[in-house]
Amino acid sequence: MSRYLNLYLIEYAFNALLRQKYKNIFISFILSFLIFLLSSVFFITSSIKNELQLSVESLPEITVQKLISAKHYDIEVNRLDEILSITGVNDAYARVWGYYYFANAGVNFTLVGIDQFEKQYKNSLQNLVDTTKGFNDNNAYIGQGVKKILSKNYYKDYFNFILPDGSIKEIKIGGTFKADTNLESNDVIVLSKENMRSIYGMSDEYATDIVVKVKNVDEIETIAAKIKVLYPDTRVITKNDFKVSYQNIFDYKSGLFLALFIVSIFTFFIIVYDKASGLSSSERKEIGVLKAIGWSLDDVLKEKFYEASIISVFSYILGVFLALAFVYMFQAPILRDVFSGYSELKTAFDLPFVFDIQTMVLVFFLSVPIYIASIIIPSWRAATMDADEVMR
Amino acid sequence: MLYKKAKIVIYSFSFLTIALVLELLYLNTTQNISNDQIKLKKEFVSLIQLPDLAISTEATFIRHRSLSTTFDIYKDDGVLREYFPSSFVIMNSKIGSK
Repeated sequence: MSRYLNLYLIEYAFNALLRQKYKNIFISFILSFLIFLLSSVFFITSSIKNELQLSVESLPEITVQKLISAKHYDIEVNRLDEILSITGVNDAYARVWGYYYFANAGVNFTLVGIDQFEKQYKNSLQNLVDTTKGFNDNNAYIGQGVKKILSKNYYKDYFNFILPDGSIKEIKIGGTFKADTNLESNDVIVLSKENMRSIYGMSDEYATDIVVKVKNVDEIETIAAKIKVLYPDTRVITKNDFKVSYQNIFDYKSGLFLALFIVSIFTFFIIVYDKASGLSSSERKEIGVLKAIGWSLDDVLKEKFYEASIISVFSYILGVFLALAFVYMFQAPILRDVFSGYSELKTAFDLPFVFDIQTMVLVFFLSVPIYIASIIIPSWRAATMDADEVMR
Repeated sequence: MLYKKAKIVIYSFSFLTIALVLELLYLNTTQNISNDQIKLKKEFVSLIQLPDLAISTEATFIRHRSLSTTFDIYKDDGVLREYFPSSFVIMNSKIGSK
């Protein structure tokens, strides 16, 4: 061990740290806290990002929506035939979906219509739904969050939708989606398309939007362009656009934190630097004495390096350790709300663990070397001077 | 012992590092998303076809970007700048915005 590390120097460095015990404890506390905060935000981000990227792959390649005066309108279902005839289009279908505002609780549910619960849908519903009362066209299948809100409002077995004409449509609750899909399914109510149309007062000729499946990834842009030419009143959104937007949102939110972190960490370093360079009396004197008794510049810097490393690496490991526990074991209370908005219908939010080496390295380089530099540089300045000059 | 404190430093660092590694291993085995869960999630998304996570529902386009309008610049539009608390940004499809 002593071949690689100079134990005498470490011993000396540790003693030097202990000489100013409270100052150093305070510094490592603040540094750990900053590192903890930043890594927590990054861990939450990478975990949600990972979750989104998992699901974005199963989306259809192109979404077509109709715009009139830049507002979203229902699209004609008969446009499907034209779109299906474009070469390269694998499949296309009209979707009926939307929001339903439940005034009692002040939340928006997301309603999704499924084609009369066809066999293929029934099969996947069977996998996804926890408890069932048999798959029936008149049943609704709801997410855990919806269930919680509804049972708070005394809707245990059914829910009354208010139709556009003011009448009430009672729909039975068939089952809830498994908790594993909570991040995706929390606010969702799945119904048959027929029920959806009556809730929205939508005729059979219209749908909310059209989704297009394309087998060959290289053809997506071309097909999107063709649809745009075919129907100039539409907006065509590709899967790639979604990916870009996810990147943007998370870059923004964690970037905001990164900016705050950089401001606070630099303030911190300026204080440390200022303290260290203005240390004048005790620490400058110490360096002077060390020089006077024969320590070389090299030795002094090495000792200072050990001193700074002990504090910063300790703070780094502690900060990351606590952040991992905070985010993944305690599911990041308070901090995760930054990412979940102010919605009433919040998810249970089981953040899946993602080993994010990139974040750890980034946080390491943002904290440890900078702290070491802020200690080494003023010491180097003091140590290059003559011993008597330093001590004076 | 001549350098007792140095050893304390080294041991405590080793202890911390080992604790960190153990924590990572623990999280990796318990909190990791399993293949079955991934399969379920994918199946759910392909069933309902909505891309966004249900973590916030306060903006109209939150579950699907196509619900934004092109003129809702500071409020709802997907193309534009961020606004707190939950603006999700999308570039208009390159073709769409041409």
